[in-house]
Amino acid sequence: MASKVVFQQNFAINGGDFANAGESSIRIRAILKEIGIDATIIRRVAIAAYEAEMNVVMYARLGKMHFLVTPEKIHLTVEDKGQGIEDIGLAMRPGYSTATEEMREMGFGAGMGLPNMKKNADVFRISSTVGKGTTLKLTFKINGTQD
Amino acid sequence: MRDCPTKAIRVRTGKAVINYERCIDCGECLRVCPYDAVIPMTTSSADLDKFKYKVALPSPVVYSQFGQQVFPDEILSVIKELGFDYVYDEALMCEMISMTIEEYLDETKSPRPVISSTCPVVVRLIQRLFPSLCDLVIPIEPPREAAAKNLRQEIAEKNKILEDDIGIFHITPCAAKMISINYPESMKRSHLDGAISIHEIYNRVMIKLKKERRPSWLYKHHPISGIGVAWTVSGGEIKAFKNFPSVSVSGVYDTIRILEDVESGKLKDIEYLECLICPDGCIGGPLTVENRFVARSTVNRLIRIYGDKRMVDMRRVQKMYRQKFFSFESSLKPKPFAGLATDRIKAIELLKVKKEMLKRLPAIDCGACGAPDCETHATDIARGDGRLEDCVFVKKEVHNE
Repeated sequence: MASKVVFQQNFAINGGDFANAGESSIRIRAILKEIGIDATIIRRVAIAAYEAEMNVVMYARLGKMHFLVTPEKIHLTVEDKGQGIEDIGLAMRPGYSTATEEMREMGFGAGMGLPNMKKNADVFRISSTVGKGTTLKLTFKINGTQD
Repeated sequence: MRDCPTKAIRVRTGKAVINYERCIDCGECLRVCPYDAVIPMTTSSADLDKFKYKVALPSPVVYSQFGQQVFPDEILSVIKELGFDYVYDEALMCEMISMTIEEYLDETKSPRPVISSTCPVVVRLIQRLFPSLCDLVIPIEPPREAAAKNLRQEIAEKNKILEDDIGIFHITPCAAKMISINYPESMKRSHLDGAISIHEIYNRVMIKLKKERRPSWLYKHHPISGIGVAWTVSGGEIKAFKNFPSVSVSGVYDTIRILEDVESGKLKDIEYLECLICPDGCIGGPLTVENRFVARSTVNRLIRIYGDKRMVDMRRVQKMYRQKFFSFESSLKPKPFAGLATDRIKAIELLKVKKEMLKRLPAIDCGACGAPDCETHATDIARGDGRLEDCVFVKKEVHNE
């Protein structure tokens, strides 16, 4: 019954738009604060959402973040149209990055994005098609602690 | 109403009402209100007389308030003549806390960036709006509290009087000090007994300086700490750091922006973050008199004169640090704003109501409904603190139908 109570919102993310990167993460946080979610969970969602957003900005042309919250869980789905990831195993390795020299100069591309998302989410799923794009599904439990 | 960063003000039946639940004492309303509708809380002279031995602890900001030709030690002696038994130069303690922060950063591997605890409004802002960042606030008391703690012990011992007979008063540019003294966040009871605004003593000090001042070449001036005086302007607290990448921010909106970045995990490479709510730092405090740009120039002159020579004994500070003299008594507790409802299911339902309401409102943020903007009004409606028809545009629509 309770899980029928749902709030959802979509956020558009533009590839290459470094200036507005992070806005969706800030708005998601504001919503979670209004629901009265615990600060430590908000922090984890904030960090994961920001990293996911940055990945779209850095590597894809266009992306969409879908945010959905129920009384038990927070779901983030990030779909992008872009180059996709060739070797997901490699991409998941901390420190591995395909960021250009330019991005690194801006302080990005430390190769911690995906590992950081995995660390902060309770469930982390990634699928990707080269040349088409990448989809991330993150879930956070609201009750209880992280596994 | 619209200048309130936490949206704590509503206009109800023609009067501005502050929701103290949401107020962080930043003083923005005090600064902008042309009708002086907001009155800051400070100590009255009657409260002062309750104490046998009265100590003035002026913020170093006072050195910037009386022009470039007046030296700090002159100002201190004039303040003492206003009816205090003793006056202490807080800049010295600022320098000590600078050293203490370096010690702390050196030996503590806590998550970064470590955030300054100096500004009481920033501390409250973090507890309320960024509760997940409470752990990042450095658990070291700011100079005013450390100075008062130290003074009380020293004076009681030296003059053989009871600690309770000593009243220590901060002379301050800041509207939030009285509240931070009455409701401290990191200890049971503040070491200070009250706060007096610079604005309040300004005339009396100025008159004394003008009337009784001897020509300055007759004086042998006592130097004060240049490192400490720098604390009054944004960037001053981190100025003395040698090895730590640090950032300084001032102004309430820029502070909120940077704390949002910290919450996103953007500032991992920064070791120390200094945030001051007032524009340009404490010299921009709402209870100051001097124009803040002039004040900054005066502070810069003092820094040039006194330099960055250390005036405190490093070993003494280290010893006090080891004895935890400067440490918080209790850890900083998150105090997040209440959500739309205490029950999570209800809160999500209300969030949907809010979204619906927001669609009906015109999004021009006129403020005629009594809330600062349409989004806040939508929140109020969802909470039951307002009605959709309070919006003049919605009312007109309904009327036309």
